[in-house]
Amino acid sequence: MDRMKRNKLIIFLLVSPGLIFFFAAVLFPILKSVYYGMTDWKGIGDFNLVGFDNFVKVLTDDKVFRESLLHAATLAVLTVIVQHPIALFFAIIIDKIGGRRETFFRAVFFIPCVISIVVISKMWVGIYNAEYGLLNTVLEFMRLDALKQDWLGNFHIALYSVVFVIMWVGFGYAFLIYYSGIKGVPEELYEAGLIDGAGGWQRFRHITLPLIKPVIWVNVTLAIVSSLKQMEPIYLMTNGGPGSTTQFVANYLYIQAFNAKKYGYANAISVVFVVVCLIVTVLLQRVFRDRERGEAS
Amino acid sequence: MSDHTTAVIAPGRKKKRRLSRIVYVILCSLVAAGAIFPLIWLLDFSLAKSNELFSSKILIWPSPPQWHNYYLALTDGKVPQYLTNSLVITSVSVGLVVVLAVMMSYAFIRMRWRLSRVFLNLVLLGIMIPIHATLLPNFLTFHSLNLTDSPLALIIPYVAFGLPQATFIMSGFMASIPEAVEESALIDGCGIFRIVFKMVFPLMKPAIITVIITSYISIWNEFIMAATYLTSDTYRTLPFSVYNFAGMYRSNYAAQFAVMVLAALPSLIVYIILNKHITKGIVAGAVKG
Repeated sequence: MDRMKRNKLIIFLLVSPGLIFFFAAVLFPILKSVYYGMTDWKGIGDFNLVGFDNFVKVLTDDKVFRESLLHAATLAVLTVIVQHPIALFFAIIIDKIGGRRETFFRAVFFIPCVISIVVISKMWVGIYNAEYGLLNTVLEFMRLDALKQDWLGNFHIALYSVVFVIMWVGFGYAFLIYYSGIKGVPEELYEAGLIDGAGGWQRFRHITLPLIKPVIWVNVTLAIVSSLKQMEPIYLMTNGGPGSTTQFVANYLYIQAFNAKKYGYANAISVVFVVVCLIVTVLLQRVFRDRERGEAS
Repeated sequence: MSDHTTAVIAPGRKKKRRLSRIVYVILCSLVAAGAIFPLIWLLDFSLAKSNELFSSKILIWPSPPQWHNYYLALTDGKVPQYLTNSLVITSVSVGLVVVLAVMMSYAFIRMRWRLSRVFLNLVLLGIMIPIHATLLPNFLTFHSLNLTDSPLALIIPYVAFGLPQATFIMSGFMASIPEAVEESALIDGCGIFRIVFKMVFPLMKPAIITVIITSYISIWNEFIMAATYLTSDTYRTLPFSVYNFAGMYRSNYAAQFAVMVLAALPSLIVYIILNKHITKGIVAGAVKG
């Protein structure tokens, strides 16, 4: 039996189909990017090896790349300080509603998450439209004409318009994860708190919060990592503009390759992008693991 | 605290509780409205004439409803064709993800070989890698292999990017189920493949459902690879129809809205029917991922 479990042929047959897909479409392309990143290729014709010039330029001398990272950071911070508290608040109160209405609200909150991001993005382009958009119509209806805008065309506002859409779509997801955490808190603990005369805030602070900490870490990690990886809403709503005010890394490298035809440079951005994602994910895991350990001891 | 004191404060508290529950329902209704009102607006104007969009009303009463918009969406928007493509490509990809992830997880968790850990971690590394970083090199590869007019240009990367998360969920679940049953089957002389497909598969059902749900949603809605890798129209998927149509009917907004409604409808219907399972699957996938 043990011999069977060590059978190299069987192991090979079990693992290789999956690994072939994975190597072919995930790891190999990254290695390919490393190579093209060291060239000055324009997409067609000959090219020269230029060493690490592209990489150095991405890291030290590319304003748009830096802006893109800054936009991702803005999105991450706003998600964590605005979307998450609201999601957590609603996870808590929906749990208190109970019954069929609880199920109903939970289901409705998640609806935007199941719809294709293309539909969502194009729909919001419509809502933000300066001439016929829903948002301006609503503002007019409320006699707030002064606030009417070209929401995606204004240099100062476009980023926040995009960020709002991303938070709006992701709300159901963040909510659902908090909700699952809240559901994991045993009812008896609240009752005990109630008997001890703890108020709503105190019960949240001393019973709910400590128990859902792991769920908060999961949610915060997901928010930060996905902020870094945003592309589709940007590509479909603003393509990074006006100027580069709503640019994100993934969209920027896409433009550099397919519009500006700087294939070599775009590949260098790709590689740096992968490294940044790996570093951020590993760092977050470290930080949260240490925290949990610190609290356990 | 004695029972006596709780009995005394109970009536007032009960009333307060009912009051706060009403406040909660009102607050939740507001958020629910925020989540679906944009979609209602979309549906409403998808039945309007394009110029009616410029009225100052928030919602209008389309009279008569412009079903022609939907006719355009179905014919020029090629929604049926894209829908079929989406169904086939997504189903094949998800099927492959499930089977390959179970096979790999079995090898990583149950079989004994030296590099098992190394390869498992390598695959799990894929969870952190952004798909966007592979767009250019994969485009070049598919282009040179003449795959840009083939559903393989989508199925290959969809499977590849579905596997890490799926392997993570599957291997975690497999480690939690006892090995004893399989061992006795092994002693009885069953081959490994029979054990994997006949015994392990049914045991893995909860994990398989989670993987099916999470990967179906992400592959069904995937857009940027579909827009990048395919150069011909034949195998384009549903999300692309919206994008494509917006280019064709640049100024016919109402018809664009109709395509969006049609593109959103299939996943919405499935979500309404399978809501409970989907919710559970998403939570399981996220918290373990």
